[in-house]
Amino acid sequence: MGSAHSVPAEMRELADRTGFTSEQIEHLHRRFKQLSRDQLTIRKENFDSIPDLEFNPIRAKIVHAFFDKRNLRPESDGLADEINFEDFLTIMSYFRPIEMNMDEEQLDRFRKEKLKFLFHMYDSDHDGKITLQEYRNVVEELLSGNPHLEKESARSIADGAMMEAASICVGQMGPDQVYEGITFEDFLKMWQGIDIETKMHVRFLNMETIAHCY
Amino acid sequence: MLRFTRAVQGPRTSQWATLQIEEGVKKQKVLALGNLISTGIIQREETSMEKEIAGHRRGHFNLADAMYFSQKGCEAVAEDEVTWRFYSEELVSWNLLSRTNANLHNVSWQLTVVWVFGILIRYCLLLPFRVCLSVFSILLLVFATTVVRQFPNGRVKCWLSNQVQMMCAALGVRSLGGLVHFHNRENRPQGGGICVANHTSPLDVLILASDGCYSLVSQTHGGLLGLVLRSCMQTTQHVLFERSELKDRHLVRKKIREHIADKAKLPVLIFPEGTCINNTSVMMFKKGSFEVGGTIYPVAIKYDPCFGDAFWNSTKHSFVTFVFNVMTSWAIVCNVWYLPPMVKEEGEDAVHFANRVQAVIAARGGMSVLPWDGGLKRKKVKESLKEEQQKKYCQIVTENGSMGNGSVC
Repeated sequence: MGSAHSVPAEMRELADRTGFTSEQIEHLHRRFKQLSRDQLTIRKENFDSIPDLEFNPIRAKIVHAFFDKRNLRPESDGLADEINFEDFLTIMSYFRPIEMNMDEEQLDRFRKEKLKFLFHMYDSDHDGKITLQEYRNVVEELLSGNPHLEKESARSIADGAMMEAASICVGQMGPDQVYEGITFEDFLKMWQGIDIETKMHVRFLNMETIAHCY
Repeated sequence: MLRFTRAVQGPRTSQWATLQIEEGVKKQKVLALGNLISTGIIQREETSMEKEIAGHRRGHFNLADAMYFSQKGCEAVAEDEVTWRFYSEELVSWNLLSRTNANLHNVSWQLTVVWVFGILIRYCLLLPFRVCLSVFSILLLVFATTVVRQFPNGRVKCWLSNQVQMMCAALGVRSLGGLVHFHNRENRPQGGGICVANHTSPLDVLILASDGCYSLVSQTHGGLLGLVLRSCMQTTQHVLFERSELKDRHLVRKKIREHIADKAKLPVLIFPEGTCINNTSVMMFKKGSFEVGGTIYPVAIKYDPCFGDAFWNSTKHSFVTFVFNVMTSWAIVCNVWYLPPMVKEEGEDAVHFANRVQAVIAARGGMSVLPWDGGLKRKKVKESLKEEQQKKYCQIVTENGSMGNGSVC
């Protein structure tokens, strides 16, 4: 049947970089316009209009991740005030599922990227390490809002998890050793053997095959 | 867009028969695709939070939980069930109105020609005719209600005012290009009852009023709509209030209760969703109108989006812009089903009754049922609902934490 309109060059470039198909990009563009209320950029306030997101305990961290420059471009740091559609797509592409035709090296890179995204969510002060305090913050956020849970319980859960992390990364620690924090290499070690590819992905429907049914 | 080009290029004689067969198949696929597009771009996991998190739990708090929630967060950002209901429905194939084509691609010059021709017809032929007719009908309404008001109170006056209202409403519907099909008219609402319907636009009122007389319960409006409402107020009993006054639910409920107690009075027309929804789903029915008692007459209204969009996005367009859009569409085609009356059963609470009525209306109209509140258009999610979700998660963590915390390292 053949598409009667040509895909513009920027669209193809976006598709190559993020791995979405042009139809998916169009659909996400419409979603972007909805969220930004027809502006060219999105700010943090625009995420307030999503009711489903309100239920999410780590909502603040998720919204923050969209504006985190470490996720948007390699080797950059800091927080952006607003993001455009390209940045929006870049963040969404972290949640792409794995494709059948990926080789070992691609799979490994894919996995590292997803874990890096998760790492940045925990490492809120951007120093490259997840300290005990940062870990505690995440646990508290996840458990926040429950009047029955005391702060102490949340802390003990975080401490326990941190100790387990230390044992995986550093092995047996001497009595004077202080575990400073989880670096990204340690983080990767913790996830060895655990299959994250099926857990951290959003199944974007492939619209192309459907359109051709016509 | 792709589909339309095919039709425009026209079938060659030898391919005519094939195309006819394909039309039938196409219609089925449109339906399926329409459902898919409304469902959107994401295929969601159907498992509940408990299963997902407990599944990869090893006895204590796990980093993977953050992963689960970040995935859910991304899904919510990419698409959610609610926000798109407050925007006009997206069409599967273009109906030659530029406002419904989100991506105006230059498909082919033939299509552009047809589109320009369509614009000429709509703006130069249909619009002036419709504007004249609507001005005439509003003037007639104001004049006739003033005349009827002079009559002494009595049955004649009631009958006259009913006729005037129905006639002007019918004229109004025609002037907006409306083509309405009424079904099951034997179930039309009687006096002393409450008529509930799903809400898409102010046109709903006009359409229902052209086939019967109702007392409106509505918020006060300014401008053109306010003028029309106020003229109607002169001859019929309507209940008008401020949106903020809605908090004074007791007052409103009392007024309605008094009204329906008198069987001679007209049935009350209420839209329990509370706001305009884009006609693809029926949102939560507020329980207020279902608590008063009395018979409920449900009405399902479904617009056909092919010829024009009747949805009023009040945050985006003013009323006048909305009317202009409606008048410059091809037509507003709509089906109205009068459903059999329902009453609250013994021991049934108002919320359950409201959900029952909502399900009946949605089923008849072919729309989905959403438990969400239409008030989300303007407000944020209630805190209590958020806390419930977080409590659930906390339970999972602490249950397993208390078991596993001993054996950490």
